[in-house]
Amino acid sequence: MNDLIIGMAGSGGDGIVSAGESLISAFSREGYYAILTKSFGSQIRGGESSCRLRVATSPVLNPGGTLSVAVVLNWEDFIRFGGELPVGPHTVVIYEKKTGVEPEAIPLQVRPAVVVAVPMAEMAMKAAHTLQAKNNVVLGLLAGWFGFGRQSILEGIRRKFGKKGPEALQGNEQAFAAGFDYAEQNPLDAKYRLDPPRAGGGKRRVTDGNEICAAAALFAGCKFFGGYPITPATEIMQHLQKDIWKHGGSLLQAEDEIAGIAAAVGASYAGRKAMTATSGPGLSLKTEVLGLASLAELPLVCVNVQRGGPSTGLPTKPEQADLFAAAFSSHGDTVRPILAPISVEDMFGITVEAFNIAEEFQTPVIVLSDQEIAQRKDIVDPVDTSRFKLVERLQPNAQELENYTRFRLTDSGISPISHPGLKGGSYLAAGIEHNEAGAPSSSGEMHAKMNDKRLRKLSPLLQRRDLFVIEGNPDAAIGVIGWGSIAGVVLEAVRTAQAQGIDVKLLIPKLIYPIAEVIYQEFFRSLRHGLVVEQSHQGQLHRIIRMWTDVPRSFTSMAKSGANPITPDDVLQRIVLLSSGSASTPAPALIPTP
Amino acid sequence: MSTTTDCGCQPTPATYTVKDFRSNLKPIWCPGCGDYGVVTALYRALVNIGRPPHEIAFISGIGCSSRIPGYTTAYGFNTVHGRALPIAQGIKMANPDLMVLVAGGDGDGFSIGGGHVPHAIRRNLDLTYIVMDNHIYGLTKGQLSPTTPRGAKTPTSAYGSIEEPVNPLLYVLAYGAGFVAQGVPADMEGLSNLIEEAIRYPGFAFVNIQSPCITFGEPDDQLKAQKSRMRKLAAEGHDPSNRLRAMDLAQAYGTELYTGVFYRNPNPPMTYDQHIRERQAELRGTADLV
Repeated sequence: MNDLIIGMAGSGGDGIVSAGESLISAFSREGYYAILTKSFGSQIRGGESSCRLRVATSPVLNPGGTLSVAVVLNWEDFIRFGGELPVGPHTVVIYEKKTGVEPEAIPLQVRPAVVVAVPMAEMAMKAAHTLQAKNNVVLGLLAGWFGFGRQSILEGIRRKFGKKGPEALQGNEQAFAAGFDYAEQNPLDAKYRLDPPRAGGGKRRVTDGNEICAAAALFAGCKFFGGYPITPATEIMQHLQKDIWKHGGSLLQAEDEIAGIAAAVGASYAGRKAMTATSGPGLSLKTEVLGLASLAELPLVCVNVQRGGPSTGLPTKPEQADLFAAAFSSHGDTVRPILAPISVEDMFGITVEAFNIAEEFQTPVIVLSDQEIAQRKDIVDPVDTSRFKLVERLQPNAQELENYTRFRLTDSGISPISHPGLKGGSYLAAGIEHNEAGAPSSSGEMHAKMNDKRLRKLSPLLQRRDLFVIEGNPDAAIGVIGWGSIAGVVLEAVRTAQAQGIDVKLLIPKLIYPIAEVIYQEFFRSLRHGLVVEQSHQGQLHRIIRMWTDVPRSFTSMAKSGANPITPDDVLQRIVLLSSGSASTPAPALIPTP
Repeated sequence: MSTTTDCGCQPTPATYTVKDFRSNLKPIWCPGCGDYGVVTALYRALVNIGRPPHEIAFISGIGCSSRIPGYTTAYGFNTVHGRALPIAQGIKMANPDLMVLVAGGDGDGFSIGGGHVPHAIRRNLDLTYIVMDNHIYGLTKGQLSPTTPRGAKTPTSAYGSIEEPVNPLLYVLAYGAGFVAQGVPADMEGLSNLIEEAIRYPGFAFVNIQSPCITFGEPDDQLKAQKSRMRKLAAEGHDPSNRLRAMDLAQAYGTELYTGVFYRNPNPPMTYDQHIRERQAELRGTADLV
């Protein structure tokens, strides 16, 4: 096999998530690619926990669908995760014998290919005299049966338990060995073994979207972060607080979400690249200050890691339902650019791009990450930072400073921006509408001119084809759109469909808003069927696209509420349906070729 | 006070006049508003301090008094309602070399923005917070403010206010502000000295200015009345290093009109911005990027 999906579930103390983390580190060292996602009940400690790990010899696009391997320490916990850990007819199920369930009577709807009951608890007690070693028994079983990572996992165990004394180390090594030996003595069919990696891991690392966002912010020159702890965005602040000082910057854990973004706006006014990060409820609170940044034309990056909403919603689960809020939550006529990463690795480039757009266009930029990208672990190749150019805001030159006009109505709509400390550059920034010099103005004529300036300056964004992934035959009659963490799912589904001979193309926007009308229209031109795949109940991107551009007659939405996984198979089935439908009901392309 | 800074600021001789700090914007305030006195006192304090206008960031919220940054030649930021303090803190953290002034009204500071005050105080950045306290919402035409006296009849309290007003002096003293003073525009010299002293205090400094609203305020609360009512703390023999005594005197807010310094910490602790500089210096260049 070159692609294996392992799902594991147990109670909080079973160390299932920790086993997943050990595995992904081992895979990284060996040269595999992998994605690890974790899922918990909402308890702070304890309760049920699970993880799924997809490992492959080539880069992994998404956490995948049906499990290849299910590890069940406790049936109740496993079943609680339902659709997050789907078992199919090809799954190998390994479960704790102590559960007392006979292999013929396991509580699953489908009959898996292989069902093995293993006395994991008993083996852990025997090897290490503690049930806590159960997860190392699991690692031994997996390494033995699926043929990966024995050496790397053992190294990991040594690093982890070496500090805890020889007894703990020996016990856990023995637990691993017990699992491994059990697997060797009770072999599975050789077809289940994972192919060897194509090359060594080299400098690949295991990281997540929040960590890589923090690294990218520092690379982009971020000198200030203001924020407030909120799941699942907190880790951005946690990573930055360690390093931002080393770059001459500073960080404020503010008294609330509003103060966090307010301080960031202040830092930007003072001339520094500044950022805040939050999740849904925090975005609601930050809305007014985002509006201030729009009107005062101050660069600012606001990362919003989407979780289930509204209100507290599903704080630990992903959803893509903050798009309306991000696009429309300011009062007044304003447009804020919105970017969305399509993978953990992509979060680096998107964060850098967010700073660049913010600085170039003197505007707040919202990055819509989501809980999955933020907190899942990916094995990523080293970031080639030479790919990125960093943009600095346009400052007034000596001549302009002689008679400085902060909001001068230029052709591009971008006017040079000074900052406190710069002699000659003093001006009044304000949330109140102003004239070119910055003096308060309530003239309707001036307001219209300034509104126009603030919108006009963003127009180059609509030409940014590099912020879209477009694949497939340009003349294909079926086109699929996906964004954010769902993009990886759509990519895989479309490529699979293409491999099956279905003529389907793909559009993945990373610039989510403003809607680049021309790029969508080009994509729609050949289409009879369009499909937008996203994880929100209303299908928010689907609706925003319809608001801005003419769409094909059959422009459908495949939308699911947050926390309900959308798998490549789900999308593939829809594409297959569309392709058979389009064959039987030929419809003219809706958008005529000019 | 001038220093060379990494923001491109140059040392400048301290030879400024009021004209250097007064902008050519005409205030929107009603004739006779106390805020005219406040801005004049501020110009005088800034002349004495002698920092060039471009090294000053002057931040405000929303309200009549929050228009004040526009009437100076400093870098001004007239922000949103209640958020002047956190925005000012971001500015000071981003560039500690700037002189940062914050101003607003009683509603801005103690109602919509009240939650930020304790945190600005406990962080103790070196900034000066001037509240123009007129006991009323003037810009929206006379509604209850957090410092409106109990019983007051306003457009939102036709039968009289049934809540106790906030005591701004006691509030900031209780949270540990290092410098707390109260002034009145009726005493221009005293007020400008207080503002100057507040700016010179190395840490969070608070000046409550009883700035009467001529349009919606009480007739017996105007500038003339202030002159006869005011009691200078210095003349009362108050020792401004005595915080408990200061709190005792502050309890008279609303009944007695004390002016002067209630409290000045005789041993100002290191400020937040100094801590930042220290940490940056200690860690600079140790980064291991990406």
